[in-house]
Amino acid sequence: MDYLGQLLANGLVLGAVYALTAVAFTLVYGVVRLVNFAFGELFMLGAFLTTSLMLPEVRLAGVIVPMPGFPLPVAALGAIVLTALIGVLVDRIAYRPLRNAPRLAPLITSIAVSVVLQSLAQTLWGAEELRFPEFYLATLPPVVLFDSIYLSVMDLVVMASAVIAMAGLSLFIARSSLGRAMRASAEDQTAALLVGIPVNRVVAAAFAIGSGFAALAGLLYAQTYGFAHSSMGFLPGLKALTAAVLGGIGSIPGAALGGLILGLVEALGSGYLPNGTAWKDAISFVLLVGLLYLRPQGLLGKPELNSAGRGSLLGGASEFAGGWLHTLFGRLDGGLARLAAAGPGAALAFLAIAAVLGALMPSDYWLRILTMVVIYGMLASGLNVIVGFAGLLDLGFVAFWAVGSYLTSILFVLVLKDSFGVAPDDIWWLLYLNLPLAGLLAAGFAVLLGTPTLRLRGDYLAIMTLGFGEIIRVVAINWIGLTNGPMGIRDIPAPDLFGIPLGSPRAQFFFALVLAALVVFAIARIVRSYVGRAWVAIREDEEAAEAMGVPTARYKLYAYAASGFVGGFVGVFYAHYQQYISPLNFSLFENILLLMLVVLGGLGTFLGPFIGALIWIVFLQLALDLPFVQAYPETRFALLGVVLIVLMVFRPQGLAASARVSLIMPGSRAKGAA
Amino acid sequence: MRAPTPAPLLEARRIVVRFGGLEAVGGFDMAVARGAIHGLIGPNGAGKTTVLNVLTGFIRPTAGELVFDGEEIGGLGVHGVARRGLARTFQNIRLFGVMTVLESVLVGGHLHFSASAPALLFGTRRSRGAERAMVARAHELLDFVGLGSSFADRVATTLSYGHQRRVEIARALMSAPKMLLLDEPLAGMNAVEKSEIADLVRQVRAQGIAVLLIEHDMQIVRSLCDHLTVLEYGKRLADGLPEAVLADPAVQAAYLGRAR
Repeated sequence: MDYLGQLLANGLVLGAVYALTAVAFTLVYGVVRLVNFAFGELFMLGAFLTTSLMLPEVRLAGVIVPMPGFPLPVAALGAIVLTALIGVLVDRIAYRPLRNAPRLAPLITSIAVSVVLQSLAQTLWGAEELRFPEFYLATLPPVVLFDSIYLSVMDLVVMASAVIAMAGLSLFIARSSLGRAMRASAEDQTAALLVGIPVNRVVAAAFAIGSGFAALAGLLYAQTYGFAHSSMGFLPGLKALTAAVLGGIGSIPGAALGGLILGLVEALGSGYLPNGTAWKDAISFVLLVGLLYLRPQGLLGKPELNSAGRGSLLGGASEFAGGWLHTLFGRLDGGLARLAAAGPGAALAFLAIAAVLGALMPSDYWLRILTMVVIYGMLASGLNVIVGFAGLLDLGFVAFWAVGSYLTSILFVLVLKDSFGVAPDDIWWLLYLNLPLAGLLAAGFAVLLGTPTLRLRGDYLAIMTLGFGEIIRVVAINWIGLTNGPMGIRDIPAPDLFGIPLGSPRAQFFFALVLAALVVFAIARIVRSYVGRAWVAIREDEEAAEAMGVPTARYKLYAYAASGFVGGFVGVFYAHYQQYISPLNFSLFENILLLMLVVLGGLGTFLGPFIGALIWIVFLQLALDLPFVQAYPETRFALLGVVLIVLMVFRPQGLAASARVSLIMPGSRAKGAA
Repeated sequence: MRAPTPAPLLEARRIVVRFGGLEAVGGFDMAVARGAIHGLIGPNGAGKTTVLNVLTGFIRPTAGELVFDGEEIGGLGVHGVARRGLARTFQNIRLFGVMTVLESVLVGGHLHFSASAPALLFGTRRSRGAERAMVARAHELLDFVGLGSSFADRVATTLSYGHQRRVEIARALMSAPKMLLLDEPLAGMNAVEKSEIADLVRQVRAQGIAVLLIEHDMQIVRSLCDHLTVLEYGKRLADGLPEAVLADPAVQAAYLGRAR
């Protein structure tokens, strides 16, 4: 009983933190239908700002800055207000211009904002943890309930502030005129505008309140665990989003309920399950996936939110027109469109240029970089099948990549070398067997993961696939017997062909190039047929596709399988190229990065993913030469984030908006047909 | 002794659709003969589109039977119904964005493709032949609906409204259906376009394809349809030959308002 009681108490504290952040997600989603991934980072800012305001001095970007040294309540208030302002600023810069943009654009800017905020925080406060200062309430002896349950005074403060904040918000929404305006905008923005509600101001208020809630949750979390860190917001942010979805996104009581459930389940799970603390992150996501499967709208949510608006994933235009940026993007788009329309010719020319570049490139360093471009291009191509052609936003694609990498690594290193003492050189051929094998295995996984998502649409689909990706990662970390856990797998042999080692950077580059040619060829063959037409039809109008006799559920699974196959296939090569893999290689960030590459280069094109990968990886390298970036390497990511935000705000339809590939088998339009 | 009437192509018996407590369709009966142009008319909000959605599997009826070509199609779902040979167009045109006219029409032929993934990957002669045959068929249909092959490579959604309608009809015909359901195909068209589409519908019938037509233009309905069913408040108000049905005082009252 005392153990259970203690777990319940811990769960309530954690639940309070999740609930507060979940309210932030739900409030903003309710008003603007945007999953603002940046709340995790606003949570982190709340923690850092509070900590900084409480200290006498802080080292910011290496410079010692004097600070007021406020007591916790004053510092907390200051931090909440500051974070709320930052939240409003973020909305103004990154989201407001995109109110009428295609649905993927704001999601991408919100991810970009996260990246910017996190890198800036790391630049400012450093990569180390910042210790949360002592506060006198925290030094009081704990309260003991039923002789056995210890609750620190601060735990009680956490719970009390959560309850007060929620009650205050409910009252505000129910009674105040701004609250009423918020509810009206949530129902119908256009109608709200027509009756004279200043919707922009209402949305700004939602962001301010949401950011304040996230900051409060962040500072309470930092207080409870004793530190602030630049990446501390990521997991709690995801959990809070999970909680919001659990409760039914858009519903404030739902968010509170979801947060509490998640906190309690995590506390109980880590207390009672064998090795529960290690698995607790997986528990939340299993819960999420299970619930979305059974009840897509969440516990208290409305079912109609589970429907993506019809229309293109990226169609539509920005509210900005004119200016040199506009012209520049227009030119780029025209070029990419011509490239896409050129079909096999362009692909062959591209391949030839890459081959010449690979043959002549004198520097091993740049050869490695080019190899990474090809690898990321291939992976992005795999993701492009499901996102770009079938229109299903998949944030769990890295799992398929991980399956391929782990399959070959486990076979080569853990099974054959470590258990049977077989030298990798003797079984060089296994790599070539593993390529298709891993593809099939990953395709199987993809179908398995795709099946429960078939009923979900839009943002819900993205969140569920995200849950799957995280589950796979947690499994990779914790199933040490299979994957070696966080230590990863070392000494994966480089590719070898009939005893000819292919480990040199040049050989690896050409190996990758051959695989890329295969991948693009295969994808093009499938897409330029009735299968690709069915995918695009589903992307553009699922119901109309169904009415044309397309069994849409089956074709979605085909898209998952094809995308999974590519992920697994490329994963095998990736492991042999890197020669070392660990769960860190397969994080959500990688998935988001791949998504950005596809959007950058052109969704639903064959060369777009490679162009996106080229732009991004070359950009990363060039950025390394900037003196500012050399001093603060994290700012590279901030820079990427800024570039993406600018890109999305000015060009929400993606760089290659007019690029479209033919969906008809080449040569089928020969004379006699027309 | 009368000659036995041939079994109708489509028969709906006592169809009931309830949304929550609201009864949109209450015990609706209709029979569409093979090769006929059958009009389904009724005032706005009578439930015509709901009936069409029931027939095409978009809405599962609360009760009732649906028999198409001798087979119960009630629980088949949308693509199952399409597979049995019922093709449709939409009241507000629903073409696939970014697709060309030819690609859009080819999607309509989805049912007739069967190449496996390996066959596609290796580009087998059979898979290429099937594609070529379907492309040729799509071009024929584009000519048939009066668009011609010069439109084949235009992005479908950029065409004029009237042309988009024709693309939709070609897309529906591409599945080689036994019956075509047209949901207000003449809406928003001028007199010339209307008579062109009416001619097109007659040509569809001439190919042995039955047509179920939802339409408001009574002149066209009168001249085009072989049989009429009138729907009001989710119930069948009248059924029979156009002249008789349109002369029915109850039908006239439904359209013009009842005398008190």
